[in-house]
Amino acid sequence: MSDNRRTFRIHRFRPALITQVDDALPDYMNLMGMIFSMCSLMLKIKWCAWVAIFAALVGFANSRSSDDAKQVLSSFMLSISAVVVTYMQNPAPMTIPFMQ
Amino acid sequence: MRSSITVFFILLHLLLCFVWSAAKKIHDEDFSEFDDFDEDEFVTEAPFPSGASQLPSKTQSNQPDQTKSEALSQPSMSKTTEQTTHDGVTIDDDDDLMFDEEEFEATDLFSSSSTPDFKIAEVPANLTGNRWESYHCEAIMILVLLSYLINFLIGRSKNARLAATIYNSQRDLLERKFSLVGDNGQTQTTKSTDEQTDNDVVSNNMHKESESLYVLWCSGRTLLDSMLIEIRFIKRQCLFNSLAALIKSINDMIIYTIDYSKDDMETFVFCLAKKRSAVKLHRDMNDLSQFCSERKNAEKHSLSGNYQILSEIGEISNVIIDSRVGDFINKFPDALEYIHISDQYTGMKIQNDNQQSSSSQPSNNGTTVGANGVSATQQQDALNLSERSVRRVLIVAFNLIPSNDRSLQITAETVINDYSRFVLNLADRVSLYRFASKELKAKTSKNRQRIEEQFLKNVNQQRQEQAQQRREEKRRAEKEKIMQSDDPDKQRKWEEKEHKREMKRRQPKMKQMKIKSM
Repeated sequence: MSDNRRTFRIHRFRPALITQVDDALPDYMNLMGMIFSMCSLMLKIKWCAWVAIFAALVGFANSRSSDDAKQVLSSFMLSISAVVVTYMQNPAPMTIPFMQ
Repeated sequence: MRSSITVFFILLHLLLCFVWSAAKKIHDEDFSEFDDFDEDEFVTEAPFPSGASQLPSKTQSNQPDQTKSEALSQPSMSKTTEQTTHDGVTIDDDDDLMFDEEEFEATDLFSSSSTPDFKIAEVPANLTGNRWESYHCEAIMILVLLSYLINFLIGRSKNARLAATIYNSQRDLLERKFSLVGDNGQTQTTKSTDEQTDNDVVSNNMHKESESLYVLWCSGRTLLDSMLIEIRFIKRQCLFNSLAALIKSINDMIIYTIDYSKDDMETFVFCLAKKRSAVKLHRDMNDLSQFCSERKNAEKHSLSGNYQILSEIGEISNVIIDSRVGDFINKFPDALEYIHISDQYTGMKIQNDNQQSSSSQPSNNGTTVGANGVSATQQQDALNLSERSVRRVLIVAFNLIPSNDRSLQITAETVINDYSRFVLNLADRVSLYRFASKELKAKTSKNRQRIEEQFLKNVNQQRQEQAQQRREEKRRAEKEKIMQSDDPDKQRKWEEKEHKREMKRRQPKMKQMKIKSM
């Protein structure tokens, strides 16, 4: 069997060649995390802070390796600080609206 | 994409409404405390009817209620016992003082007339002794967070293990067929000699794009430029996605994309796909929607009715779908998702701009440019290009489904070599195929010319729009500048100039109208 390998035909890999799939979930999660963190910090709603943590976590799990890690980290920091601050302001247990 | 964005914003809007209503409710509750307080005051001001047997109000807690009733019942009991005891023995108990009738009456009078009925507010649950028990919502949240994290770790490691299995099982085959296997595009220079290439291969294997997407780049072979293997796993690392995968039938996929150079491939567009994929590809892919007018059933070619064919030229189907393809589909039913062959590949319709800018032929000198870096500058250049940048590709997508009650890992290990052999064989056949008649060649080139003209027309239109926009911006800036200056003469002159220009622009239309009226 003949050898079909040709070193002079080597081309380098380019990330642009990867088939782009419509996957904007991490971006949406970052945005959601930020909005919910702000809601919890400004309106003192505890469940918003928890939702922000979830959004940050889902964003982290679905992030691409080419994405900026700083953005994920800042999203985490913001959501965790939202939880801490809301419980420091009012240490009472969380109440979920429409479920009492 | 647009629809998903719309849905997302609708959801976001709903969520914000929800948050707003919740916030409003909390706000109302804050003030409701004051309302309660006022009501209480009103109740306490009302005098109680006299009498020792006055029962505490309903709002009082049970505990003080009990103690009070005990206190009330105790005197009578002790009184009777005192009466039955011996007369000679007198026990001077402190408690006896309490049961003095006068004192008792006095306290009763005092409590009923002057002192208000204290209400003991309910202590918040977190401030009582068992404070952790009241945080059950938080406990649930933490549990869900933990389970998500555990699922993330398990899912990620499972995907990584599967990717490693797929890589190891076909590594030998790929190394026999390609000079370069496993490039991540970030190493310094392309190795030219065999020894150096071997070193490169050892250092790089599968390149992880995300937790669910692994890619393997192969290049350096006759008849084709490169082969990119994309392994798209189910997003096992995300709990919500893996739950969705249980409900919907989502499979792991392995996609082979082979790029040809200009002379390596004949000019045609063809697609064999499962019905569902065929509809989607026909709708989303630029080349398929432009060159292939209708979808035909593949039953004619002795394939199952599950498959459909999209072809620019009918004769191509006979060449591509031969006995090997039929055998493969029979051997691995449901494994083949689609085969897409195109010399006019420009990607999906939505990302047309990005693809056109960044999907020109792979560079020969080994320069690597990031996708994000290129897109911004080249998107601008795309309009200046007089020629469409298209790729000549063969894309084959397989489903990775566990077969014969074997685990996915074992299935992947056994079948992946067959998949790769099938793709390489098909790639060689596509590359070697040439049109038998000149008519077919003329027909295809006519189609391409038509699309090219359409493209140039669009580019021209876009250029004109851009030029118009630029002119408008320039005029606006000039107007702002003139308006900011305090010189009224200048402003008047400029306005006159503008007026003249407007009149000039309208004049030919007026003439036309006159002609029409005549």
